[in-house]
Amino acid sequence: MTISKLKLSKQIGISLLLGGALAACDSGSAPAESTVAVAAGPSFDSQASSGSDLFATNCAACHGANLEGTRLGPLLTGGAFLQRWGTQTPALLLGNIQANMPPGGSGNLSDDDYVAIVAHILNENGVDSVTEPLTASTDFTIADNVSAVVARRERPEPPAPQGLTVAGNTEDFVEFVPLTTERLENPDPADWPSHRRNPHGHSYSPLDQINTDNVRGMTLEWVWNMHEGDSEPAPLVYNGIVYLINPGNVIQALDGRTGELIWEHWTGPANGQDMRNIAMYDDKIIQATTDARLVALDARTGEQVWETEIADSSLGFSNSSGPIIADGKVITGLAGCARYIPEDCYISAHDATTGELEWRFNTIAQAGEPGGDTWGDLDNVFRAGGETWITGTYDPETRLTYWGTAQQKPWVPVSRHLTINDAGLFTNSTVAVDIDTGSLDWYFQHVPAEALDLDEVFERVLVNRGDERLVFSLGKYGILWKNDRVSGEFRGFAETVFQNSFTHIDPETGAVTYREDIQNAQLDQWTSSCPSSAGGKDWHSMTYHPPTGLMIAPLSQTCLENAAREVDLVQGGGGLAASRKFFEMPGTDGKLGKLGAYNIDTMEEAWSFEQRASYHTGTISTGGNLLFAGDLDRYFRAHDVETGEVLWETRLGTSVQGHPVAFAIDGKQYIAVTAALGGTSPRTVPSVIATEITYPDHGNAIYVFSLPD
Amino acid sequence: MNKFGQCSIALIATILGVLSAPALAQTEVYRARLSPMPTTPQTVNEITGEGEVILTLEGNTLTVEGSFSGMSSAAIAAHLHNGPPAQPGPVAHALEVQEAASGDIFAMLELTDEQVQALRDNALYVQVHSENNGPGELRGWIYLRSHFDS
Repeated sequence: MTISKLKLSKQIGISLLLGGALAACDSGSAPAESTVAVAAGPSFDSQASSGSDLFATNCAACHGANLEGTRLGPLLTGGAFLQRWGTQTPALLLGNIQANMPPGGSGNLSDDDYVAIVAHILNENGVDSVTEPLTASTDFTIADNVSAVVARRERPEPPAPQGLTVAGNTEDFVEFVPLTTERLENPDPADWPSHRRNPHGHSYSPLDQINTDNVRGMTLEWVWNMHEGDSEPAPLVYNGIVYLINPGNVIQALDGRTGELIWEHWTGPANGQDMRNIAMYDDKIIQATTDARLVALDARTGEQVWETEIADSSLGFSNSSGPIIADGKVITGLAGCARYIPEDCYISAHDATTGELEWRFNTIAQAGEPGGDTWGDLDNVFRAGGETWITGTYDPETRLTYWGTAQQKPWVPVSRHLTINDAGLFTNSTVAVDIDTGSLDWYFQHVPAEALDLDEVFERVLVNRGDERLVFSLGKYGILWKNDRVSGEFRGFAETVFQNSFTHIDPETGAVTYREDIQNAQLDQWTSSCPSSAGGKDWHSMTYHPPTGLMIAPLSQTCLENAAREVDLVQGGGGLAASRKFFEMPGTDGKLGKLGAYNIDTMEEAWSFEQRASYHTGTISTGGNLLFAGDLDRYFRAHDVETGEVLWETRLGTSVQGHPVAFAIDGKQYIAVTAALGGTSPRTVPSVIATEITYPDHGNAIYVFSLPD
Repeated sequence: MNKFGQCSIALIATILGVLSAPALAQTEVYRARLSPMPTTPQTVNEITGEGEVILTLEGNTLTVEGSFSGMSSAAIAAHLHNGPPAQPGPVAHALEVQEAASGDIFAMLELTDEQVQALRDNALYVQVHSENNGPGELRGWIYLRSHFDS
């Protein structure tokens, strides 16, 4: 465990050069000639044919018989596939699949079998100008061998909807008042103007009209069907207007009283990938897109104001969470950083008025830099991970922004050619970054050399308790960490679910000691531990309830068996590289879902509520002493914040997923929550354990509740 | 009468005998929930079922009674294993199991002092093996029954 008060110099200037690793051969220029079938050796077509059977046996359970994707795995066809892999080579695709799939282990699949599966995927995606059989080193550019893509380049088809698709103006509903820094930092009780409502990330509303005495009378006010796709939405509500992020990077503005659509803007790409939150500042709605752009829209009309690139999506970079605002700066994270390329992950700040880049903080220490000696002898290009895929928080008092970072990649030390002693700064840490300079003020690495795909990336909740200035976080190990947010010093911890990955957590320093078999895990060697990669806690935000001093978190109780796979140190390669199997957490009676409330002074559990279905929303709390949470089994409930008792429940159209909000218009309080699909491992893991829980595979919507007039 | 039926009668007689004893030894009641062995999207339909086992400890004598249902194929064996929660370990004792996809588990075992301590430390578990899943299809760690009441 390391605490350091580092003052790193501004880290900027990430090169966006592609480098020479993705050299393409122009197979399209091969001379046309008639071919004669030769019995010896496979052809691309025969490989694809046998790959079809292998895919059906080994891949279709997650990716669908026609590669259309399921709730367990993404689609592997069409625009989404070509966007991700079109500029890459079959060799890189093969390396990725061979290192990571199937999740339960490669079983009896031979190297030739993997090549055949790649041939099938390419064939299904229209690769049709291949004259040679695929090999492990086939290095043509995939999209260049899809005649439909080549033809489209010459004669573009009508694009997906783009820009403003429904025009309107919020000023037709309510007079617009700019959202100032002051109103962001001290929100009006009626508003939920930022992700988790305030810069400290409390997910708490002081509204108390709906309370423990009357919540049983709460009824549906209105519902609005959203675009379909994977989604973990966190709506914003400001001055009576609901701003809603939809799949496909679509934002809508709705009248909070009636649910009437005011405007809709398609930023694109029109894919179905997960996105969580958006931000608002002044008169702008600001979104990060799944292809790593920042876009600002006029909050009144939805018209685009500016756009800038966060990172080059052709290199695999992406975003699944949006930004926060810190004193007029748009601060955003980055995902998709598992590949062996010269560019690494960073947190970046842009001017909210213009989108202009102000600074970047790299989360991966390079050789020769502070922390650079924690990556063994690895060349910089092979230092991967450190994603900032969950939005951070901000303290106006310290002018620091607090973010969690993801773990090193690949997932297991032996796969990344490192040992359990190679901490890999600044991964799996809390980093406190100066919003004015982008320099690192301090860091605290919760789990050095992370070894099980259990990252500590989630929200940092800032709490003032007497004279103490604290930051809380809760990662996949299920450990609630308490640190001083001025110095970074460890202040305490609580284990919220059963964990057996660590044999010791030092009560004075917070230093963790991995179990010996996890420390020494070799390639293809299985370890069995809890929690699983669905996390003791995952992306669903926890809430801090100031009146009671309780931190209340949505938790998950599953375990995993994990085995490292081999990853070659090849530029352009990388990945995650582990086989996994999942099972119920012992001693939980099969209850995957848990709400846990923790006294932040004593760090003891005040109460818990456990059930079979896993939770798929963040928790929010209110001045009415209520806690709200929703689950996979479509239940949305209100609990007594002091006891956990269920006071009200209803059942929605599909799994309840996202981040609830509380707001008020003209003195009337509302509670809003979304139902949605997707959500990554917190959904895929329960889907193989609690198989009896079913729900429609469509039905994304926002539901708004209130008390009868 | 088959071996399974003989075992049942013997077990019931033993239980009745124990219950009628004038001076009852202190009884500790434990429980294990049986659920599928580690699985993946590929195997989720092949490793199935659930069950419950109640274990009663008197002195060093452990009485095991349980049932299971919904396995992918008939049970072929059941064992008591030694290993802390979520960490598989070696077989400690064999259990009687009905050779069916849904059935019962019985045993009356004499535990060593070390095994009694392992039981109290939640370091024993029950595992059921089936025709289709020889390495195991159902598994459950053993806790005091009161643990599940909280």
